[in-house]
Amino acid sequence: MIEVQQLRKQFGQLVALDGLTFNAPEGQITGLLGPNGAGKTTCLRTIYGLLKADSGKALIDGFDASEQPLEARRHIGIFPDKFGLYERLTAREQIAYFANLHGLTGAQGDQAVSTALARLDMLAIADRRARGFSQGQRMKVALAQSIVHSPKHLILDEPSRGLDVMSTRILRDLLRELRSQGTSILFSSHVMQEVAALCDQVVVIAAGKVAAQGTTEELCALTGETALEEAFVKIIGTDEGIAA
Amino acid sequence: MITQIRIVWLKELKDALRDKRSVMAAMSYAFFGPLLMAGAFFLLISQLTSEKDVEIDIRGGDYAPALVQHLNNLGIVERSEPWPAGKQPITLDIDASWAEYIATAQPAKVTLTADFSAQKQRADIRRVETAVSSYAQQLGVIRLQMRGIDPNAMRGIDLVKQDTATKGSRAAIMMGSVLVFMLLSVFFSGMNVAIDISAGERERNSLELLLSQPLSALQLVWGKTLAAGSFAIFGGLLSVILIPLIFRYLPLHEIGISVAIAWPMLLLILLTLVPLAFLATAMQLFVSFRAKSFKEAQTYISLVLMVPMLAVFGVEFARLKNQLLYYLPLTGQHQALLDIIKGESIQWLPLGVSALVTLLVSYILIRLIARMLSSEKVVFGL
Repeated sequence: MIEVQQLRKQFGQLVALDGLTFNAPEGQITGLLGPNGAGKTTCLRTIYGLLKADSGKALIDGFDASEQPLEARRHIGIFPDKFGLYERLTAREQIAYFANLHGLTGAQGDQAVSTALARLDMLAIADRRARGFSQGQRMKVALAQSIVHSPKHLILDEPSRGLDVMSTRILRDLLRELRSQGTSILFSSHVMQEVAALCDQVVVIAAGKVAAQGTTEELCALTGETALEEAFVKIIGTDEGIAA
Repeated sequence: MITQIRIVWLKELKDALRDKRSVMAAMSYAFFGPLLMAGAFFLLISQLTSEKDVEIDIRGGDYAPALVQHLNNLGIVERSEPWPAGKQPITLDIDASWAEYIATAQPAKVTLTADFSAQKQRADIRRVETAVSSYAQQLGVIRLQMRGIDPNAMRGIDLVKQDTATKGSRAAIMMGSVLVFMLLSVFFSGMNVAIDISAGERERNSLELLLSQPLSALQLVWGKTLAAGSFAIFGGLLSVILIPLIFRYLPLHEIGISVAIAWPMLLLILLTLVPLAFLATAMQLFVSFRAKSFKEAQTYISLVLMVPMLAVFGVEFARLKNQLLYYLPLTGQHQALLDIIKGESIQWLPLGVSALVTLLVSYILIRLIARMLSSEKVVFGL
């Protein structure tokens, strides 16, 4: 379970997070929906402890990443906003690097890497160096890195960027499968359809605050609209920075 | 703790070894540097040892065949080709009255015509002068002997020149520049790797994810320092092995220099370079973790490289002598290496102290980098 309590974060004059509170329970996919610049990435970075909140806290299984960063990070898989690959390493080596860092070494590590590769349908490119990988292939490597240690929590920052239809399907199937295994999944997106198709719970954030929270149906009911997109526009009061 | 460091270290090593640019950078300095220097020395030696004949115009040589013979023996010969444009002729004119003056024991008249202000010909003119006056001296000695006078009566003073430069110490001057090469090899060899695993990591956007893994910033920095440090030490090893090998093929004995460093001494030099390799790497990582791109880091690092160069060359050229130099990082290693090469006794205590100080400074730098990487301002460039 990921708990975010009253997070506040300010960069100079800019208030990025303004008392953000929500939960991402186990066995559920929680979507963080918001326009560009709403504070999604800042929120996720604060959860895994790269940014320090001015006040409030974020707990991963009860561990505060700002106080026990290593303990907290052991329990999460991260697909960050920016991910770069090591061009001179093969896909398998990159994924193995992260497996090793999570304590999976030797045969255990090899096994975990192979499982992750198979799960994302990457065996064909597993032993190729990352130089020359397509955007979709890069996304897959980054995804595999985030799930190779079978984390209990998965945090993804806009995971479907640049994926083709087939890859998007693989991603969705993967997330559903992980959900059924009890993983708590938190992902940010500004793509409405994706959120509508996947999420059990949607947290709409705008200007660093939770504007609304609930299932797709609840949000629609709340605003009296039938489509999530309309509901969303109504909630945040503008259609700026949203992709349908 | 150790496992995480090892994982980062091995991964960075594998990554760097596949990077041709990094490997080439590490190799080329240690490899081509000494070769280049050997070439320069070779040229110097051949200039110093092979004196070319001085070709001049000799007029009236027929009057004094013995003098001409004497000049020839000293490498001063009659010119066969015309003088090249821009070069003033040097002419030795033997007067027709030669035989007459010799017979009457008078000073015979010989005229040396040349441009005495010509910088390039000064050595040649000087050789002609010396040769002529040495012949004149021989004549004088014979004349005195014929009159039954001891020629030594002419010599008021016997100036004895004693050259205190031993073979070893003369070599030390030459080897000073070689040493600078060895010292700097640890700074150059790991440089590319250091940039790639710090500024490069940031540039390819992999730093954020790496910092979100269950390893502390300090472990990460240690792993990276060991990786770049390995390259630096490898570069040092190459230059320590290659320089004496290359010098073995130089005809240094021709100019009275002997450079023979025993293998145990080479090992000692290498050990001395190890702490320096870590200092070099820590300094480079410290600067390039602050840079946002590879290019930016290269700019910073080239400035940082000035520090060891200035320190070493400064001491070398200013001929600084201060006991403190033995205890400081960089200058301490430099002095120790100088002593080793000169064959002087090694000051073990200062050597140990400077190694420890070097390691301590590196350690502090590593801690500082780790602290930097824990700061969101540095990581995200806020």
